Amino acid sequence: MSIDVKMAWRNIWRNPRRTILTISAVAFASLLLVFMLSFQFGSYEAMINSSVKIHTGHLQVQAKGYQDKRSMRLVVPDPVAVGGILDKTEGVEAYAFRANAFSLASSKERTYGIIVTGIDPVREAKVSTLEKMIRQGSFLSEGDIDQALVGKLLAENLQVGVGDELTVLGQGHDGSIAATVFKIKGIYSSGIDEFDRFSIHVPLDNFQDVYAMRGAVHEVVAVGKSLKGVANIKKAAQAGIEKIESKHGLVALDWEELMPGLLQAIEMDLVGGLIMYFVLILVVAFSILNTFLMAIFERTREFGVLMAIGTTPGRLTKLLLIESMSITMVGLVAGIIVGSLITWYFQVHGIDISGTSELLAQYGISGRMYPRLSLLSVSIGPAAVLLITFLAALYPALKVWALRPVEAMTAV
Amino acid sequence: MTKKLITALCLPLSIIIALYGNVRGQDAQALVEAAVKYYRGEASVSTVEMTIHRPDWERVMTIKAWTKGEQDSLFRIIAPPKDHGNGTLKKGREMWMYNPKINRVIKLPPSMMSQAWMGSDFSNNDLSKTDSLIKDYCHTITGTETHDGKNVYIIKSIPKLEAPVVWGMQKLKIREDHILLSQAFFDEDLKLVKAMTSQQIQMLGGKLFPRVWKMQKADAKDEYTELSYKELTFEQDLPDRLFTLSSLRSPRR
Repeated sequence: MSIDVKMAWRNIWRNPRRTILTISAVAFASLLLVFMLSFQFGSYEAMINSSVKIHTGHLQVQAKGYQDKRSMRLVVPDPVAVGGILDKTEGVEAYAFRANAFSLASSKERTYGIIVTGIDPVREAKVSTLEKMIRQGSFLSEGDIDQALVGKLLAENLQVGVGDELTVLGQGHDGSIAATVFKIKGIYSSGIDEFDRFSIHVPLDNFQDVYAMRGAVHEVVAVGKSLKGVANIKKAAQAGIEKIESKHGLVALDWEELMPGLLQAIEMDLVGGLIMYFVLILVVAFSILNTFLMAIFERTREFGVLMAIGTTPGRLTKLLLIESMSITMVGLVAGIIVGSLITWYFQVHGIDISGTSELLAQYGISGRMYPRLSLLSVSIGPAAVLLITFLAALYPALKVWALRPVEAMTAV
Repeated sequence: MTKKLITALCLPLSIIIALYGNVRGQDAQALVEAAVKYYRGEASVSTVEMTIHRPDWERVMTIKAWTKGEQDSLFRIIAPPKDHGNGTLKKGREMWMYNPKINRVIKLPPSMMSQAWMGSDFSNNDLSKTDSLIKDYCHTITGTETHDGKNVYIIKSIPKLEAPVVWGMQKLKIREDHILLSQAFFDEDLKLVKAMTSQQIQMLGGKLFPRVWKMQKADAKDEYTELSYKELTFEQDLPDRLFTLSSLRSPRR
């Protein structure tokens, strides 16, 4: 250890109480940053994962333009071929086929315009939480033909319950009139009003029959094993589907493209958080600045003596910077360790957020929230603290250049 | 003296101008009423071939239609066989659809009225609000042109205040013998949304009548719906029981 570091370390502990206070300020700030960032990242991941699992999936293969136009004509003609590609792609947890049609749904009393979605019950249960959203009755099972799942709000509007009949009238893929009667098997509630008010789910085979789809579907929905793997799946799927012949061309869309609103909500929340963190770091920086300005005033005579015996101002600056950085580093390390421990505890046990569930239900989150420790969430906050405190310490450290040894030695 | 003379001259002149304008307004209204009356008749029975054209596909349906007065209509699909028997009943401003396969009648909710009828470029509103043009709009003649040697009036129709309409403006071209040549629909920003034109004017059902009616969206060149009359007869009257739900259900016609 060089003499400068040794001197700096001793200088720090000449006023232990002040040093400890400063260290704890830094430690507390970085602890808070580690925890909050982990919490935010964790909630985003939960938001994304539960949002995509309501309906959208991490990734969808559709005909070009279907996402915007929702036209019956824009189909994936050979879904099995797309499925084959996804089977071979690493990181895909499950996929399912869906077909959608705008139709009129009518009970005895009322009629509403809705989206009828054809699903494969077995596959669907693996990509979406639809099965768990059933509040009355039961989920579709293999072999069901004329049975339907109905959103809770739609069921209320139509004044129907489990076991009642629902007449559906729409237009088939070939332009013909599609009409059929479904028996309501289950009623689901996702918490997303639009989904619960305007959709029904029916067995895909029957859908393809009624709407003359000739084996085609509108969406191949895939979920990945992890959010991180989605980019790779997309790349692989995109490369694969280019080889499949299709009239309109196929595209692979990830959740960001499928749900642009979700990403915007996340970005907005993140920006709000960042402003708060910046203020927090600024407060810590001022505390550091204060400590060192005090030190300089206190130690003017000492610096005068040091300069008189030949210490260059450069070396003094270096000394002061080592002192400030040592305090910051000790604080940061303590903060990261304690912060990580607290975060890790909640990562395992979860945080009860049932009080805010109404708001979060929109994103499909309910009950407990789990922060998520990552290299990024642990390092980014403390790194910002380090940078800003360094800048704050620079000012007092450079102030020694203005000192004249003789005057400094006689200063009060 | 001269001043008095000018006032004396101007006063009757302004009255004449005002009257004239009014007369023209009434003219326009009468013209529109006559045109609607002309193409609907007292009652009619027709067979129409409807072609829905899209860039990558086309579909042809044959529809039998009964109309009575300005309000009541019954449509029944007779071809293709797959859709045979599907029907639409329009009474006043309400509409019902019938499907023989499931043997049910569905009443169209108000929220569905702006949706396409049977996937065509005609909306349910176009069908259900046939009398709207007469009741809900103020008509003014804005110009004339000639067609087949006959005068054609160009009429601008602005909806009356608080009239329950979906269009911001309509522009009509009506020939002096009351044949509707075109009807263009504009939105609230007065941008063209879609336009219907009639073609092939010939003797049909005992009078000159356009055989082909073509509805085209303004922003899609390759998308249109064409109605082509195969048969058309005008009747003095049709029985009221034809325009009832039980008649809609019975596929015998």
